[in-house]
Amino acid sequence: MRVGTSHLGNISIMIKAWAQRLGGNLILPPVNNQRTLSLGVKYSPEGLCLPFKLTLGNLIEACELGADTLIITGGDGICRLGYYAKTQEQILRELGYNFEIIQLSLSGQKLFGLLKLMKRLSNNASWFKIISALRFGIVKQFAIDKIERVVQKVRAVEQIKGTANRLYAKAIQAIDNADNYNTLKRVQRDYTDQLNHVAKDTQAKPLIVGIIGEFYVTLEPFANQNIESELGKLGVEVRRRTFISTWTKFSFFFNSLGLDEKSKIHKAALPYLKRDVGGDGWETVGEKVLHAKEYDGLVHLAPFTCMPEIVAQNIMPSTKENIPVLTILCDEQMNRTGMLTRLEAFVDLLKSRRRARNNNQHRGS
Amino acid sequence: MIKVGIPRALLYYQYYPMWKTFFEELGAEVVVSSPTTQTMLSSGSSRVVADTCLPVKIFLGHALSLVEKCDYIFIPAIRSVKRKAYNCSKFLGLPDMTKAVIPESPPILDIEIDINKGKHRLYQAIYGLGRHFTWNPFRVRRASLAAWQAHRKYRELMSGQGLTPPQAIARMTGEVEPKASTSTQATIALIGHPYMLYDEHISHCLIHRLEQAHNKVLTPEMLTTEELESATARLVGKAHWTYENEVVGAGGHYLETGADGVIGLMTFGCGPDSQMMDMVRRRAARLRATTFMSLTLDEHTTEGGVVTRLEAFLDMINRRKRRQVEVCV
Repeated sequence: MRVGTSHLGNISIMIKAWAQRLGGNLILPPVNNQRTLSLGVKYSPEGLCLPFKLTLGNLIEACELGADTLIITGGDGICRLGYYAKTQEQILRELGYNFEIIQLSLSGQKLFGLLKLMKRLSNNASWFKIISALRFGIVKQFAIDKIERVVQKVRAVEQIKGTANRLYAKAIQAIDNADNYNTLKRVQRDYTDQLNHVAKDTQAKPLIVGIIGEFYVTLEPFANQNIESELGKLGVEVRRRTFISTWTKFSFFFNSLGLDEKSKIHKAALPYLKRDVGGDGWETVGEKVLHAKEYDGLVHLAPFTCMPEIVAQNIMPSTKENIPVLTILCDEQMNRTGMLTRLEAFVDLLKSRRRARNNNQHRGS
Repeated sequence: MIKVGIPRALLYYQYYPMWKTFFEELGAEVVVSSPTTQTMLSSGSSRVVADTCLPVKIFLGHALSLVEKCDYIFIPAIRSVKRKAYNCSKFLGLPDMTKAVIPESPPILDIEIDINKGKHRLYQAIYGLGRHFTWNPFRVRRASLAAWQAHRKYRELMSGQGLTPPQAIARMTGEVEPKASTSTQATIALIGHPYMLYDEHISHCLIHRLEQAHNKVLTPEMLTTEELESATARLVGKAHWTYENEVVGAGGHYLETGADGVIGLMTFGCGPDSQMMDMVRRRAARLRATTFMSLTLDEHTTEGGVVTRLEAFLDMINRRKRRQVEVCV
C-alpha cells in the first residue's frame, strides 16, 4: 500500500515521522511549486478556491509517483471543504488514476479516527507502536512551531536580513532527520540558541502585525507568497494564532475534554457575528476584536471566493474596536510584486499611525 | 400595526407564503420590497466588498429599499433544514452582515433555524420570534401551524400543478397570475436557485425569452421532493448543502428524462454551485443524451451576451431534433 497525501505548511514532517516509525510506505508529492498549481488549476472547476486547487495538484503529483491510496481531508463543515473529497476523487478518476480513497473527516472522527487509520495503514501494528509514533510526530511538530515563533520575532530585528530564514530552513531539515527524542531536544535547543544570538538591532521597536484568516492560506507559504518572511524584511514582527501544533493539540485532545481555545475568540465576536459561519469566519471577526489593542495592524488572508471569509470581511469594518486591516485574497493570479506594494503601503500607514500616537502621548504628558 | 419588511430576494422564493401567514396571524402587516431594479443592485453593491456574490448584493439592495418603510426587517439565519446538511455561510451570516453594512436599518428579526439541534431548540426559536408580537405562546403556535399549512399548499401548487414560485405566490395572494405559455417547440429545463431563476433582473428574463421562442420551460420546483432527492443520491450521494437539490437533483433528473436541453444558471463566486454545477456538467458529458449549457452570471453580465448564447443553444437543440425526425422517416 503506497499512501499519498497533500501538503499543508510543514505538516509533512509530522506525517513523515509517523510513517518512519510505523514502517508504512508514504509517498509525499514534491512541496508546492508552480507545477502543482498549474496542474491543480488545469483540472479544477474554475470557481473553486485555491486550497482545493493546490491539494488537487498535490494528489495528482502523488498519483504520478505511484501512490495507490490517497488520504483526502474533509469534514462536516459548512464551507466547500466538506465536499473536497468527492469532487477531487471524481476528477482523479476521470484522469485515469487507479486508487483507493480514505476520507479523513477531522471534525467527525477526532483522535480515535486518526489512530484507527494509522492502524490500518501500518498493517496492524501494535497499539503501543502506533501511540508512540503519534507522539513522536506531534513532538516534532511542536519543536518546529516553537522555533518558528522565535523566527517570527528575530526576522523583524535581525541586522543581516535572511539570517533567521536560513537558520529556520536548516532547523526544519535537522528536525526532519532527528530519529529520537534526545536528538530532537538537542536540535531544538541548538537552533533556538543560534536564533537568539543572531546580530540584532537592539534599539528597534518593531511594529506588530497579526495574521488572521483562513487556515490553509495562513499556514501554506506557497499560497500566501511567503507573506510572513516579506513582512519580516520590512521590519515587522508577525504574530499568528494558527499553528499546526496548537490545532492538533486542541482538536485531538483538549476539545474532547471540553477545553476550547476558541471560546474566548467567539465571545469577543459575539456582538458582531452571533454564530459560526463555517471555516474560520467567526474566528477572524473575533480575533480582530481581541487584538485591536495589542497589535499595530492585522493582515487578513483568505482564498478568493471563500464564503466564510467574505462574511467576515464585510462585518469587520463595522466593529467598534478599531485597527487597520489589510485583506489579501490569494488565488492563482496573485503576484508577488502586487502583494509587496500593498504590504509596503500598509506598513507605512502603520508607522505613521504609531508616530502620531506617540506624539499625542508626549503632548499629553 | 407593526410592519414587518421582507426583502424580495434569496429565500423569499422558497418561504414567502409561510412567513407572510405567520406574521399576519400574529397581527402584523407584511411589506415586501418591489421587484429588483438596477438602482437596488447598485445600492446593494456599494455597501459590501466586491467579491460578495450577486444574490447577496441584491438582497442588501432590497433591504435598503425597506429601511424607511417598516418597523422590523425579517432576516432568518437558516443553518439547516435537513439533518447533516448545512447552508452556505452567507445565509448564516446574513442578519449580522446586514446589520454591519446597513447601520441605519430598522431592528432585524433574526431567527436561527437548525434542525440538528433538535426540535426543542426549533420551537424555542419560533417562540422567540413570536415574542416580538405577542406574549401568548398559544397564539404563536397557532400562527406557526397556519404558516406550515400555507407552506404545504405552496409546495403542492408548484410540484402538483407545475406552477413557478411567482405564479404560485400570485395565486395564493389572489393577485393577477402571470400567464403560462402553451406552445411547445422544445422542452427546456432551467436549473438553479429560485432567487436566480425568478428574479428577472438577474436572469435577464430568461424564462420569458424561452417562452417567447415557443419553448416549454421546466424548473426544479416542478419536481417532487422524492424525485429531487433520488436524483441527487444517484449523482453525488449524500447532499452536503441544503439548497443544492434544486441544482444537482433537478439537473440529474432532467438530464435523464423529460427535457431536450438543460440550462444551468449560477452566479460567479457561488461556493456550493461551483462544485455542484460541475458535477452536473460532468454527468452531462458522460451521458451525451441531453444538451447542457451553463451560464455564470454576475453584475457585469450584459443582456446581449446572454441572448446570443441562448439563441445558439436553441438553434443547436432544434437542429438536433430535426435530425432525429429525419432518421425516423
